[in-house]
Amino acid sequence: MLPIDAAAHSSRWRRRHPVDKAVLGLGLTVLAISLPPWPGAALVLVTALALLLGPAGVPAGRLWRAYRVPLGFCVTGALTLLVRVGGPGGLVSPAPDGPLRAGELLLRTSAASLGVLLFAFTTPMSDLLPRLVRAGVPAPLVDVALVTYRMSFLLLDSVRRVHRAQAARLGHTTRAATWRSLGGLGATAFVRSFDRAARLQTGLAGRGYDGALRVLVPEARVSVRFTAASGTLLAALAALTFVLERPLS
Amino acid sequence: MHIAEGFLPPAHAVAWGVASAPFVVHGARSLIRDVREHPESTLLLGASGAFTFVLSALKLPSVTGSCSHPTGTGLGAILFRPPVMAVLGTITLLFQALLLAHGGLTTLGANVFSMAIVGPWAGYAVYRLLRRYDVPLMGAVFCGAFAADLSTYCVTSVQLALAFPDPGSGFLGALGKFGSIFAVTQIPLAVSEGLLTVLVMRLLVQSSKGELTRLGVLVTSAAGGKRAESAEAVTR
Repeated sequence: MLPIDAAAHSSRWRRRHPVDKAVLGLGLTVLAISLPPWPGAALVLVTALALLLGPAGVPAGRLWRAYRVPLGFCVTGALTLLVRVGGPGGLVSPAPDGPLRAGELLLRTSAASLGVLLFAFTTPMSDLLPRLVRAGVPAPLVDVALVTYRMSFLLLDSVRRVHRAQAARLGHTTRAATWRSLGGLGATAFVRSFDRAARLQTGLAGRGYDGALRVLVPEARVSVRFTAASGTLLAALAALTFVLERPLS
Repeated sequence: MHIAEGFLPPAHAVAWGVASAPFVVHGARSLIRDVREHPESTLLLGASGAFTFVLSALKLPSVTGSCSHPTGTGLGAILFRPPVMAVLGTITLLFQALLLAHGGLTTLGANVFSMAIVGPWAGYAVYRLLRRYDVPLMGAVFCGAFAADLSTYCVTSVQLALAFPDPGSGFLGALGKFGSIFAVTQIPLAVSEGLLTVLVMRLLVQSSKGELTRLGVLVTSAAGGKRAESAEAVTR
């Protein structure tokens, strides 16, 4: 299982309905990209961080390991805003408002990423996918996504074990050997995925498979109190941004 | 490399979502039709999606010495065809956003457009064109995977340049800046992905001729051709 999904399974908010967490987490993300970066995204960032480390109980180390992935892209992308091409300063010169734009972009992407991470760290995929049918997503599409999700872990596990076996046979000692091993790894993943699909088909056929994958979904109800509190928090953040925008800019 | 969460302004995020929607809806409709006709193809498509997800998680040594991940769009398009890849790519990108924090939900439309639509179509077009002119399978596979990888990152650069035009030289200057970071540096990685795809395909030709024939990649005989057509219909 992947670290974010594993954390979601043991989250304090695991038993909450995904809609509750979507309103809060994805609401924060929408606010982060819609409000002015200063002070809007900054407020969203602090709120999301407080919720993640506080009520949601996500360990700081796990959060950092997940958060540094989008941060790497954001920093690389923001660097380009620091310079301008052409103009009076020569072919490449510092952009006049570059640091400001780069800072705003970093603030916005950081806040938006934390909003999605709040949702991802508290909602296992196995709780979310089956409920998408009720949200109007066609069942065959959800079934394909479910099989993809469940088979991904098995394949990732197979690939890790094959990789270890290749390393034990000195399959990564030279550049040529690494390439050969990598090619073998990709081919093995293909063969195993199709082999698993065939065996799963045989097993399901023996149980009267009629095209619908029925899975048990943990009982959960949408909490009116939680969603109302989330809505109030989001409205308060938006209002506070507009109140503070003029004095702080 | 996917565009991170919140990186694009709201109007751009919505616009790329709208641009991607027809391709994903077309792929989803054909997938749903096939699943209803052949329920067993759910498992095959799920396996294909898992394969795409795992392929994008492999660490690829670059010819410059650094390390990256293949997009898997070229191989996916050659094996499963671009319409299927639009749906499988969307599912994979959704999983990557929620399970790995790669990409994002607000930037899903933009990432789908570059990685699940343009990449597979460009790779598949190059592959089919070269096969039509009797270029050997492995040569066509290399060029297809190379084109799919590079076109994905060129589109990403265009998306970023449209969102953040340069204050001095506008869109073209920004395209130069983002292209030098995300597209030019990708050339060695595209070569690496092409090489990896050839190695994978060589092994598959040796070990999984049946599956490749079913998917329509290899046509060994008239009967094989018929089998390939029916299997292609299942995976389309």
